[in-house]
Amino acid sequence: MSKTAELLPGTLDMLILKAVSLKPLHGYGVLVRIRQISGDALEIPQGSLYPALYRLEHHDLIAAEWGQSENNRRAKYYTLTAAGRRRLRDETAGWNRLATAIAAALNTTSEEV
Amino acid sequence: MFKRLRSLFRVLTRRREFEDGMSEELRFHIEQYADELVRSGMSPEKAARLARVELGSLTNIKGDCREAFGVHLFDEFRRELSYAARLLRKTPGFTATALLTLAVCFGANLTIFAVIDSVLLRPLPFPEPGRLTTIFNTYPKAGVDRDGASLTNYYERRGHLPAFASLSIYYYGTEIIGEPGSTEREPTMRVSPDFFLTLGLGPAIGRTFTEEETTSETDHVAILSDAFWRQRYNADPNVIGRLVRVNSVPRTVIGVLPPTFRFLSSDARVFLPIASRPENRLPSRRHAGGNVIQMIARLRSDATLAQAQSQLDAQNAALEVDDPQAKMIADAGFRSLVVPLHADHVAAIRPTLLLLEAGVLVLLLVGTVNLVNLLLIRASGRVKELAVRQALGASQGYIVSETLVETTLLTLVGGLLGLGVGAGGIRLLDALGYDRLPLGGRIAFDVRLALVALLAAIVIGLVLAAPIAWFNLRRHLGNALQSESRGETSGRTGQILRQSFIVAQIALAFVLLAGAGLLGLSLQRVMAVSPGFQSDHILTGQILLPWADYPDGTARLKFVESLMDKIGHLPGVLTAGVVDNVPFSGKSGKSAATVKGRILRPGQSARGHYSYGVGGDYFRAMGFSLRAGRFLTADDSRRAERVCVVDEDFARYYWPSASAIGQQLWEGSEAGKDAEVFTVVGVVGGVKQAGLTEDEAQGAIYYPYAFRFNDSVFVAVRTSLPPESLESALQKVVRQIDADVPVDGLQSMETRIADSLVARRSPALLAGLFSGIALLLTAVGTYGVLSYAVSQRRREIGVRVALGAQPSRIRSQFLSLSLRLLAAGTLLGLIGAWQAGRAMRTVLFHVPPLDLPILAAAACVTGVVCLAACLLPSQRAARISPMEALTEA
Repeated sequence: MSKTAELLPGTLDMLILKAVSLKPLHGYGVLVRIRQISGDALEIPQGSLYPALYRLEHHDLIAAEWGQSENNRRAKYYTLTAAGRRRLRDETAGWNRLATAIAAALNTTSEEV
Repeated sequence: MFKRLRSLFRVLTRRREFEDGMSEELRFHIEQYADELVRSGMSPEKAARLARVELGSLTNIKGDCREAFGVHLFDEFRRELSYAARLLRKTPGFTATALLTLAVCFGANLTIFAVIDSVLLRPLPFPEPGRLTTIFNTYPKAGVDRDGASLTNYYERRGHLPAFASLSIYYYGTEIIGEPGSTEREPTMRVSPDFFLTLGLGPAIGRTFTEEETTSETDHVAILSDAFWRQRYNADPNVIGRLVRVNSVPRTVIGVLPPTFRFLSSDARVFLPIASRPENRLPSRRHAGGNVIQMIARLRSDATLAQAQSQLDAQNAALEVDDPQAKMIADAGFRSLVVPLHADHVAAIRPTLLLLEAGVLVLLLVGTVNLVNLLLIRASGRVKELAVRQALGASQGYIVSETLVETTLLTLVGGLLGLGVGAGGIRLLDALGYDRLPLGGRIAFDVRLALVALLAAIVIGLVLAAPIAWFNLRRHLGNALQSESRGETSGRTGQILRQSFIVAQIALAFVLLAGAGLLGLSLQRVMAVSPGFQSDHILTGQILLPWADYPDGTARLKFVESLMDKIGHLPGVLTAGVVDNVPFSGKSGKSAATVKGRILRPGQSARGHYSYGVGGDYFRAMGFSLRAGRFLTADDSRRAERVCVVDEDFARYYWPSASAIGQQLWEGSEAGKDAEVFTVVGVVGGVKQAGLTEDEAQGAIYYPYAFRFNDSVFVAVRTSLPPESLESALQKVVRQIDADVPVDGLQSMETRIADSLVARRSPALLAGLFSGIALLLTAVGTYGVLSYAVSQRRREIGVRVALGAQPSRIRSQFLSLSLRLLAAGTLLGLIGAWQAGRAMRTVLFHVPPLDLPILAAAACVTGVVCLAACLLPSQRAARISPMEALTEA
C-alpha cells in the first residue's frame, strides 16, 4: 500500500501556486517542492505538470522567465504574479473552509446528533 | 480576457521561440530527473529511460501545453488551409472556373453596391442628417407636381412652425467670378442666412451670413468652398476681408467652408446670400416659387415628420383665408409637403438602383448555385476517400471544418479577385455617367467597400459549405464504401440535388434575361420618342449675362442681336437662335399663363406651361415644325405689338375645336392690362423639355426674347458641319462681344438628349451584361453536371451499347434529360419574370410587365445556350465504346 495520496481534482493548480509562491522555481523544481512540502505524501503525475504550468501562465497567474539553474543550465523559472497571489489566497481560504467543514462532519459522533 | 488574447498573440507571433522553449524545458526536466535517479544509485541508461517514461508522451504533453494557450486551433486551421490549398491546386480546371465565377459575381456586386452605398445608404455629411427635410409646394391639378418654395413661404414659415428647429432656403446658380480678363463661370449657391445652421455645418474660418445681408444694397459678401479657397487664394488663412469679384461686383469674403462640406450633389464653389426686396416677400408672391428656390428644414429632435406636416397644413389653411387667389390655388390641389431630404434627393433614381441591385444579387445567386454544383460533383468524386477517413476516425466536426476551410478559402481568393473586378467596374460606371447621378460624386472604391467584400466572401464561403458538408456527412459509411467499390452510379440524392440546382440556375438566368429585355425594349421605345424638333446638327451653349452689365431687356436684346449677327457670318452655320431655357437643359420649371376669355369651370385649375423667351431664328435653328400661322422672328422683339407662339399641346388644351391663331393670353396667373396681352400668331409642334419620357402634354408658350428673359441665355446653332467643330468659333464670337462672358455647357443637342437617358441606358446595358454572364455561368453549370452524369454512367452505357443499344438512343436519352431540366427551369423562370416585370413597372416606359415577344426571345436564348451546353456531353455519351468503358474499372 502506497503512502502517497491521490491528488484531488482542481488541487494541482493550487499546489503549483503555493510552491512557486515560496521561491521562483523551474518545472522540475515545482515537482520536487510539492513532494517536499507535502512530506512526500503527494505525488504529481509528471505529464500533467507542464500543461498546468502553461495554463497558469496563460491566465497570468504565474510569470515565466529564463534563468540559470543550480548546475548552470538554462531553465525556465516561474514566479507568482499579483493575480496569482490573490488567487492563492482565495483558494487557500476556500480550501480551509472546506477541509474544516468536512473534518467536522466526519468527526461527528452519534451523541452529537 | 484581453490579457489572454495578448498572451496568445505573443505566442503566435513568436511561435518558434515558444516551441523551442517548450522542448528545452521538457528536456531539462528529463535530465534533472535522471540526474536525481542516478544520484539515488540507478545506472545512467536506466535512469534516462525511466525519466522519459514517467514524464509520458512528449507529443501529448506539448499538445496539451499548446492547447493551454489556445495555439492548437491555429495549428489545426493552418493544416486544413494547406490541405485545402493542395486540393485546389490539384484540380486547376475546377479552381479556375470557381475563382472566375466568384471574381465576376463579386466584382459586379461590389460595383453596384458601391453605387447603392454612396447614393442610398451613406447618410448625408451633416450632423443628425436624418432630421433634415425638404419642403416643397405642389399643385397636382395644375400639372405642377413640384414648385419649390417662394420667398414669401420662407418669411412666413421661418420661426412659425414649432416642429422645425431651423428652416432655410437656397437656389443653385452660376456666376462669373474673377478679375476682368481672367473670369470663369463657377457653380454657386444663394442661401438664406440660416442655411448653414439648418445643415449643422458652417464655415471653418469666418462667419455665416447675417439677416442684414439679405438686401441687394448690403449683400456684397461671399463664403468660399474649401476647394475654391485653395485654388484661387492659395489657402490664405487671412482670406477674410479680401475681395472676390462676382459678376463684376466686388464682394467681401466672410467665410471659408470646411473641406467636408458638400450639399447634396451640388458642386457650388461660392456661396452668396439671397437678397430680396420687401415687395418680393408679400403674400401676393406666395405662389411665385417657380421651382427655383428650394426649402430645407431641420426637425426638432422631439418632433416627427407627421407633426411637421400637420403644422404646415394648418398654416397653409390659415393663410389661404385672406388670399384673393385662394380659390384658384385650392382648385390647383395646392399642398406643401415635408419629406426627408436625402430620400427626396435620390427618389427618382432609387427604383432603378434597387432594380440593378436585385439583378446583380440574382447574378450572385446564379454564380453561387453554379459553385455548389461544381463542388457537389467534386464531393461525389471524393465520397470514398471521405468514407475511409471517417472509418479511420475523422470526426464529423473535422469533416465539416475541412469543407468550411476549403470553400471559404475559395471565396476569399475569389473575393480578392472580385475587388479588382469591382475597381474596374466603378471605372466603367464613370464612363456610363454614373458620377452625374444624384450623389453620384460620392461613388468611390474605399475601405468600407473592401470590408463588405471580405464579409460577403466569408458569408458565401459558409453558405457554400453547408450543402457540401451535408452531402459529405449524409451517407452511411458502409453504403459509401460498398457502393463505390461496386462502381455503381452516383447516389440518387446527389443527382437530384445537382439537377434541381441546374433548374434553379436556368430559371434565374431566364429572369435576368427577360428583365434586361424589358429594360432594353423600354430604352428603345424612349429613344424612338421625338423630342419635338430635329435634334441633329445643333450646337447649344449657355451664356450667363450678369445683371450688372446687362440690367434690362434692351441691353440683353442688344447682346443677343449682335451675337446672332456674328454667328450668322460663321462658315457652316445655317441658322441660329437664342432661348432662355433650351430643352434638355435640366431645368424644367413651368409658369402660368392666363388665356383671355377663358373662365375656369369649378374643379378646373390654371395650368403651368413651359414658357420660353426666344430670339433670332430659334424655331428654324431647332427644326420645329410649324402647324399653323408663322414662327416668331427677330423682328418680333423690336416691335411694340406683342405676339407669341404656342405649341400644339397648348392649342389643343385651350382651343380644342377652334383655331389658336388670333387668340390672346397674358403671362402670369392673372389677367393683365389690355396693352400687355400677347396675340398667338403661330402653332408649333409639341416639345419635351424635361426628358423624352415626359408623357403628359405640358403645353408651351414662346414669347419674343425682349419680353421674357432671365439671367442666362442659351444659344442654338444649326450647322451643316459636325456640331462640335463649331465650339471654338462660337466661343471666339462671344468673347469679341464681351470678353468677360464665357460660354459653357457647349454640347450638341443630341448629346444633351443622350445624357438625359443615362438613368435608362446604363441599367439596360448593365442588366444585359449581367444576364450574359448569368447565361454563361448556367451553360458552364449545365455542361459540368451533364458531363459528370455521363462519366458516372459510362459503365452502364457501355453495357447497353454492348447489348445493342443505338448510340442515337443514348444521345437522345441525355438530350431529353436536358430538355426536361430546361423546361422546368423556363417554367419557373416565367413565374419569376412575371414577378420581376411587376416590380419593374415604375422604370418601364410603354412596355407591359409581361411582354410576350421578350419572354419568347428570352426562352429561345436560354434554350439555345443550354442545349448547346448539353450537346457536347450527350455526344460524348453516344460515342462511348463498350470495350473501353467495361475494361476501365
